[in-house]
Amino acid sequence: MLLSRRDAIRGLTFTFGVAATGFAGRAMAAAPALGWTPTALTPDQARLVDVVAELIIPKTDTPGAREAGVPQFVDRALADYYNKAQADRLRAGLARMDADARAAHGDVFVALTPEQQIELLNGYDREAAAAQGHTAGEPHFFPLLQDLVTVGYFTSEPGATVALSYDPVPGAYHGCVPLAELGRGWATR
Amino acid sequence: MANVNGRARRKNTYDAIVVGSGITGGWAAKELTQKGLKTLVLERGPMVRHLEDYPTATMDPWQTKYPQGQLPSDELNAKYPVQKRTGYTLTEYTRHFFVRDDQNPYTEESRYDWIRGYHVGGRSLTWGRQSYRHSPIDFEANAREGIGVDWPIRYEELAPWYDHVERFIGVSGQAEGLPHLPDGQYQPPMEMNCVEKAFKAKSEARFPERRITMGRTAHLTDPTEEQLALGRTKCQYRNMCIRGCPFGGYYSSNSGGLVAAERTGNLVIRPGSIVTSLIYDEKAGKATGVRILDATTRQEEEFYADVVFLCASAFNSAWIMMNSTSSRFPNGFGNGSDQLGRNVMDHHLGVGASGEAPEFADMYYSGRRPNGIYVPRFRNLGDAATKRSDYLRGFGYQGGASRPGWDRDLTRPGQDPSGPRGFGAARKAALSQPGPWIIGLGGFGEILPYEDNRITLNRDKTDEFGLPTLSMNVTIRENELAMRRDMQTAAAEMLEAAGFKNVEGRDGGYAPGLGIHEMGTARMGRDPKTSVLNAHNQVHECKNVYVTDGAAMTSASCVNPSLTYMALTARAADHAVQARKRGDL
Repeated sequence: MLLSRRDAIRGLTFTFGVAATGFAGRAMAAAPALGWTPTALTPDQARLVDVVAELIIPKTDTPGAREAGVPQFVDRALADYYNKAQADRLRAGLARMDADARAAHGDVFVALTPEQQIELLNGYDREAAAAQGHTAGEPHFFPLLQDLVTVGYFTSEPGATVALSYDPVPGAYHGCVPLAELGRGWATR
Repeated sequence: MANVNGRARRKNTYDAIVVGSGITGGWAAKELTQKGLKTLVLERGPMVRHLEDYPTATMDPWQTKYPQGQLPSDELNAKYPVQKRTGYTLTEYTRHFFVRDDQNPYTEESRYDWIRGYHVGGRSLTWGRQSYRHSPIDFEANAREGIGVDWPIRYEELAPWYDHVERFIGVSGQAEGLPHLPDGQYQPPMEMNCVEKAFKAKSEARFPERRITMGRTAHLTDPTEEQLALGRTKCQYRNMCIRGCPFGGYYSSNSGGLVAAERTGNLVIRPGSIVTSLIYDEKAGKATGVRILDATTRQEEEFYADVVFLCASAFNSAWIMMNSTSSRFPNGFGNGSDQLGRNVMDHHLGVGASGEAPEFADMYYSGRRPNGIYVPRFRNLGDAATKRSDYLRGFGYQGGASRPGWDRDLTRPGQDPSGPRGFGAARKAALSQPGPWIIGLGGFGEILPYEDNRITLNRDKTDEFGLPTLSMNVTIRENELAMRRDMQTAAAEMLEAAGFKNVEGRDGGYAPGLGIHEMGTARMGRDPKTSVLNAHNQVHECKNVYVTDGAAMTSASCVNPSLTYMALTARAADHAVQARKRGDL
């Protein structure tokens, strides 16, 4: 698993050569300040996760991933929860997103327009779906990130209590209630 | 010196000793203390006090350290390689109620999933709570079919003790008037949802012999004065039972039996006490007590009593007996029959069917019902219509309908791709609404008692205390495999009859132990030559030792066993008290 991360990094430097070093810290300039200190992610990776999480679960009439603290959740998962293979896959995926952004548009992912960012994510989503089930090799990074953002969001306090409904002590069970009366899905079952 | 020893002996002497504090230990403690016996409960694990020691009971989803409370795979693999096998029991919310496998080794000659918790209350804190009576045909089956040995009791002898247990623990359920699933003392049943009601109506129209009822579960829906006085209240429909219930909504030793026992003033409970053997007095021809190893100090100590109840779980009670050798019992305590450790049974499960319900898209539910629907056994009931030529005995289904939540599109290992999942506002909005209704039925099947399905004592492999460990050799056979095929087919038939879409039968596989209903290792029987225990759960060869946990079971039935263990325990405790009064122990 370590190999695949090395391969990804090696591939990246091979493709972009010296130019790649010119992008160091580019995310810092291009993206809004984080307001928190990552422990497992680098500051550039944290800015990328911050932007991608908000694209996966954007603010609508309910809070988005950023407001729900999902980027910090991803950082914690990377530090405490993921095994090495998963962490490597996620980090390689983040590296690939910047590499693809530079190849296609000449700048790091967070510096692209939302349309360009969405186009890249759509590509990963399609690629992951096509690869699922019939690749013997390592699973795609995008479902991993998408799952983590989804779990982080809907188990956060804003996700569970605002986007969904949460009732710690229901007190009773009613088996047939019009959905219109309840409005949203339950956060827990 | 003699005086000191005499004093120490008196200090360590009780009327009764109960080994184990789980679902049967709690009952033995309650009955014996309420009937006036000074009782010592020995528990190998640490204390768990009701309310005080449920550290995760009120945690919100955002308070976990790990995503969804799932433990990191490295930790699971290192510490819980067996406990993780159910896939649902071991989480950040529950790990303190399960053993560390790396500290509690055993040998799998064949795969055996031994899921357990060592602490006061044992698995009564984490049990499934489904509570059904064995039926008359369950007690007669072995004799009628020439399988194993005959139960030494019949349903009628246990029925009053089922009543007694149900009244105390509180069971919510629906009386159905079925001879093969006897009714009990029930508090009001929980409610079926729209899809379950429609399923019941349509499936029963097509298959009238396959009754669909509400699960009978040890939850309070209309608590009695006695239950309220113990500090228990109505089930709050949180469905977080496995973390321990701050409302005492479901029955556990911790919220029920041990509390009642403590209030008599006759109970002493000693956690951290690993019972290593029974002490046998050759001259008197009876047990005088037990030896323990203190889990903290690692000192040996002896405790004495007129009567000993082994309630340590089927495997650990058998382990204590196997490890209690003497010139009288060279092959294990009370093991003249050589049946100790044999006839291991469980319930085989993991097979059934699921489908999608196209109706009721505008309906949902509120509250989290810690219970499902139940389909009592409908095969081999003694008449021609239900007779199967391909297998003996039968199975029941547990199931339910629900609307999947926000986590429904997460990737799962082995799942086929269903196309790109999308992201952004549209997916967020969709996941904020419940998914389409789904319904499932999962079978619980009876396993026959096979003499060579056995656990043995392995003196070559010891645990951290230097104590011998168990070796498991248990497999299911043709009868169970044939039953599984029917379990899958019949479930799919019922869902199809009810008009559900994309009905899919599935056998997800089963490994012995996954039912977490291990039993049979010291079976009851009529003949000391072929069984370990008599009709009152006394060891045939040593009448002042009673074994009343799953070890006692002569056959498994297909229903969840804890209610029967409790009824056997209460009945045996009554017997012990009377016999002791008469001087018969």
